[in-house]
Amino acid sequence: MNAPVSALTPGPLVETDVVRVSLEAPRGRLSLRARGELAPFDVALGLTLPRKIGQRAAGDGIEALCLGPDEWMIHAPEAQVGALLSACATLYERHPHSLVDVSGRETTYVVDGPGALDLLSVGCPRDLDRILPGEGRRTVFDGVTVILWRDGETTARLDVWHSFAPYLSELLETGSRELAADAAAAR
Amino acid sequence: MLLIHCPYCDETLPEAEFTYAGQAHVVRPADPSGESDADWEAFLFLRDNAKGPHFERWRHLHGCGRFFNAVRDTVSDRFLTTYEAGLPRPDLSTLTEDQP
Amino acid sequence: MSSHRVAGKGRIDTTRPVSFTFDGRRYSGAAGDTVASALLAHGVHLMGRSFKYHRPRGPVTAGSEEPNALIGTRRGPGRFEPNTRATVQEIWQGLETTSQNKYPSLKWDVGAVNDAGYMLFSAGFYYKTFMWPKSFWDKVYEPFIRAAAGLGVSPSEDDPDRYASRNMHCDVLVVGAGPTGLAAAHSAALAGAKVVLVDEHAEMGGALLSDPDVQIDGAGAWTWLASRLAELRALGVRTMTRTTAIGYYHQNLVGLCEKLTDHLPDLPADTPRERMWRVRAKRVVLAQGALEKPLVFHGNDRPGVMLAGSAQTYLNRFGVLVGKAPVVLTSHDSAWFAAFDLADAGAKVQAIVDTRDSVRDDLRAGASARGIEVRLSHTATGTSGRLRVKSLRVAPLRADQVGAATEIACDAVLMSGGWTPSLHLFSHTKGSLTWDDTQTTFLPKDTPEDCHIAGASRGLWGYEAALVDGDKAGREAAQALGLKIAAGRFEVAQDRTGSGVSHRELPSDRSPARSKAFVDFQNDVTAKDLRLAVREGMRSIEHVKRYTTNGMATDQGKMSNINGLNIAADALGKPQPQVGLTTFRPPYTPTTFGCFAGYHRGSHFEVTRKTPIDGWAEAHGAAFEPVGQWRRAWYFPQPGESMDDAVRRECRATRESVGIFDASTLGKIEVMGPGAVEFMNRMYTNPWTKLGIGRCRYGLLLGDDGYIRDDGVIGRLGQDRFHVTTTTGGAARVLNTMEDYLQTEWPDLDVWLTSTTEQWATVALNGPNAAALLAPLVEGVTLSDDDFPHMSCAECTVAGMPARLFRISFTGEVGFEVNVPAPMGLRLWELLWERGRQYGITPYGTEAMHVLRAEKGYIIVGQDTDGTVTPYDTGMSWAIGKKKPDFVGMRGLARPDLQAPGRKQLVGLLSEDRSKLEEGAQIVFDPNQPVPMKMVGHVTSSYDVGTSGRPIALALVEGGHDRMGEIVHIPMPDRTIAAKITPTVFVDPDNARLKL
Ligand SMILES: [Zn+2]
Repeated sequence: MNAPVSALTPGPLVETDVVRVSLEAPRGRLSLRARGELAPFDVALGLTLPRKIGQRAAGDGIEALCLGPDEWMIHAPEAQVGALLSACATLYERHPHSLVDVSGRETTYVVDGPGALDLLSVGCPRDLDRILPGEGRRTVFDGVTVILWRDGETTARLDVWHSFAPYLSELLETGSRELAADAAAAR
Repeated sequence: MLLIHCPYCDETLPEAEFTYAGQAHVVRPADPSGESDADWEAFLFLRDNAKGPHFERWRHLHGCGRFFNAVRDTVSDRFLTTYEAGLPRPDLSTLTEDQP
Repeated sequence: MSSHRVAGKGRIDTTRPVSFTFDGRRYSGAAGDTVASALLAHGVHLMGRSFKYHRPRGPVTAGSEEPNALIGTRRGPGRFEPNTRATVQEIWQGLETTSQNKYPSLKWDVGAVNDAGYMLFSAGFYYKTFMWPKSFWDKVYEPFIRAAAGLGVSPSEDDPDRYASRNMHCDVLVVGAGPTGLAAAHSAALAGAKVVLVDEHAEMGGALLSDPDVQIDGAGAWTWLASRLAELRALGVRTMTRTTAIGYYHQNLVGLCEKLTDHLPDLPADTPRERMWRVRAKRVVLAQGALEKPLVFHGNDRPGVMLAGSAQTYLNRFGVLVGKAPVVLTSHDSAWFAAFDLADAGAKVQAIVDTRDSVRDDLRAGASARGIEVRLSHTATGTSGRLRVKSLRVAPLRADQVGAATEIACDAVLMSGGWTPSLHLFSHTKGSLTWDDTQTTFLPKDTPEDCHIAGASRGLWGYEAALVDGDKAGREAAQALGLKIAAGRFEVAQDRTGSGVSHRELPSDRSPARSKAFVDFQNDVTAKDLRLAVREGMRSIEHVKRYTTNGMATDQGKMSNINGLNIAADALGKPQPQVGLTTFRPPYTPTTFGCFAGYHRGSHFEVTRKTPIDGWAEAHGAAFEPVGQWRRAWYFPQPGESMDDAVRRECRATRESVGIFDASTLGKIEVMGPGAVEFMNRMYTNPWTKLGIGRCRYGLLLGDDGYIRDDGVIGRLGQDRFHVTTTTGGAARVLNTMEDYLQTEWPDLDVWLTSTTEQWATVALNGPNAAALLAPLVEGVTLSDDDFPHMSCAECTVAGMPARLFRISFTGEVGFEVNVPAPMGLRLWELLWERGRQYGITPYGTEAMHVLRAEKGYIIVGQDTDGTVTPYDTGMSWAIGKKKPDFVGMRGLARPDLQAPGRKQLVGLLSEDRSKLEEGAQIVFDPNQPVPMKMVGHVTSSYDVGTSGRPIALALVEGGHDRMGEIVHIPMPDRTIAAKITPTVFVDPDNARLKL
């Protein structure tokens, strides 16, 4: 059986010649849902919320990814979560919205190296080349909903609900070793 | 595995990101309690069994999360078009098999 | 040097000898050999026996279409695979192979008596023979069929290999790396497309590997091939060998099976045996070439009889002469070139026997120059030899009259009945075919996919034609993607063009009834069988196929389809297109289950979700059960305890002191926004407007049909904020349903839903000591009946952790559910475990939870309900907000059938003999009525390990609410059990235990 959730501690999970997978330290995460005028939220959050699905924006230590027509995932340092919740709460009367702290809900893998996109293609059916560096998407990896942040040509992050992490860690490890073996065979 | 165009994401993506959600344009009455038994039965249970273009709903579950409408030809299993929930039925005569 | 190896010929590496075994005997070969080529190099043709008649057989082909030479391959424990084609399996040092369908040995086989009895085993044999008497089925027929059925021996151990899968996207996928595919890949890549080129062979080149003397662009075929492949790689084309395109699915999704290790002597760590690629290509070019057809004549299956093109492949690619004195039997020009190549390599070609009355002058000149005797207008009427062909019997044809026969001594017969374009993947696309009478074959016509088909697979012949057509297909694929490229130019010299005619079974002077002219070699289907099938009334080719099993072998008719069609059409007196072709379906070649399963086996078989406390449960010996995608702690057995013992102890401890339970899997949804109350009113049966902040309510969710779909406790945390819980298995479904109503029916509501199932770890404490244990840890709430009564909720701090605290009970005891952020869940659990020792705290699993709730009559949706049960049926009309204008299911509940008397209603059941009833057991009112009895309900829940002192059960019974105290009966296989109908609450009906 794969590892328990509690055994998944931040740090490297697997490292090979072509790809490294590690688990990020906990971070603050907020799910924002809002419609209509967004400018007040831009002010409260200190960034301009991207209006197009898949686009990202970053502010002081925080970043936002547009997931749906009225939905954003916001990553922030844990210490800032309280302030962000308060700042948006003051908008609620005039700009009703939903801002839910989901910091405890998910965990993030960092996938890094020349084999990063190949590793993701083990589980993602969509064409990953069409998620440009600096963009992100909610998509599916081996049957599990994930949020994919493409940070660079060969770097990406994968947010997953942590109950799925033992299952996905197993595949990310297997896949990384397989890619390394492929690379060794090609040499 | 089909390719489906999500009208909200404006991307054509593998079926694995989507779930089927039944026939489209079956509107829940504003006052269900005012419906006759026959009308309510039709709302609940009676569906088309089209050979050819079929109006149906899909959800971009592993994506933007939105429900949307589609016209799919049940013979060729191709999508003729997809459009946002709440929009009227498109004119079938204008549709070809080349979805956006 | 092996007896039939030709020095200087072939692409094998004779400096790297490889030894392997076949049926226990050691053979040597060279790197690059297949099992078939290595055995043929030793003059071994006999490689297997046929399925039905156990006739001795040798390889008839040199590729994946091989019907005869099927072997078992072994690589140590667990790594045995039956039905491997010897013509494809590459040899490696130490490979063990065995022949199939033989006993006791390949050369002397008992099952071959079937062959002598072939008059009995004719078409439809199985349908006709095993009819009567009925009693023979168990004792005679079935054992016989089971012993005879199955090709090869099934492996009996776990497969230790790993399998993989991956997704790929490209502009142009080219299937087949012969001249056509190479040209297509080249022009598409030159135009700038991202190209993937795949081929099922160990090396690319297709027919070029078998025709080294063809000159392309001034170079020999092999030199041209090497430089073309280097050029393709320089252009960024991804080339994949040992990779079979097995299926062409909707919208240009092509499945590829890549074999990674079957050819290696040592298995590299971390490399899977096979990998399934799901390739989504914008355009696909099919360049699969053509397959050579056998000729159908008596004795055409004898070892040593093989396709002429394959003999040419064995010579040019593997340096093997399949016979030193072969005779060529053909109706197509291509076999003449095979004869020439073998003669040039030192074979004494006995004759070229051609069914046609004239052939091209250059071919006749070639034969004459080599001193090969030519017999035109000849047919073949038989072969001789037991385990190897010794002679071919031929006879002249005069206006279809068979003349006097003569025998030609030989050690091999190289036959060619022409070529069949490979249309398998094209047919997968639902592509339409058109009959070509000149070539006597089907050709590709239209396809709905973005697909090009080129070269021999659309009936073209000769290298120049293939190169030009491939180039055109690649160019057109590129153009469809908006890329531009000029036409390529090819200078081809010594091209091998040709044409031929097609036959049914060859004319013979032999009685048709005594003729064994095989059409499907593997399934032993003869021309006679096909004609018999038509005589017995089969009209459609699909019926002929199933009646005779023609084309149903592992080669899926690659050898037999067109010959079978020609014969059936003749027997029916109809043209071939009116008889039709059977449908080709994926996979193109036999594919392992492992390749389809990929990573999904063992611990990765399916998605398994775990809670933060799962590791603790595992360390404390929990047994687990799957619930939805989750694995949940089922019970915690102590050493020596049975499941019943453990559950009984867990139940008692919870009722007597305090039990701790991991409820983290419960679905949780944050409902937030100005429209939250209205949304809850519309969604759930219950009224929510008056629920105070800090209070909870049991919520019941119906479908619009009025039936129960889900339930859960819902807390109001603010004016516009609800903490909704759902069942574990229903969480995703409920959220989907809610989103559906919100997005499509009620877009007017300003409310949003966020899944918080995994935001919170939920630890449930139940029992008389729950409050005493918890209270010292809680800040911000006083755990008293006044300050925090049953059905309260609060945001507070527990052991310094931010928490959502609920006072609710699913056991009938005082209960708290503490929600803390999931990463803190294990810490909270361990703290409560430590501090709970003074109270004898006991972890309990889902089984004890089920027992405790059943004793209180709390339903489990999906166990006590089945999608046809209303709140009235379960006695929960109290949960329905009757004054609301609408909620999901309100109108449904008013449907006549849901109002009708006699519905099945949830009741308690106590068996009269105090035995435990079976869940799912059917209930009757009158046990003495005749069978079939009228069933009036069934047992939904049943336990005998609880705390009420006797076994209890819940059941759905017709009109049950009006039958309190009545006796019903549960017929079981060995007896009928009487049970009394009772209310559903067995413990503490006054809820006194819920108070502190
Ligand atoms: Zn979408």
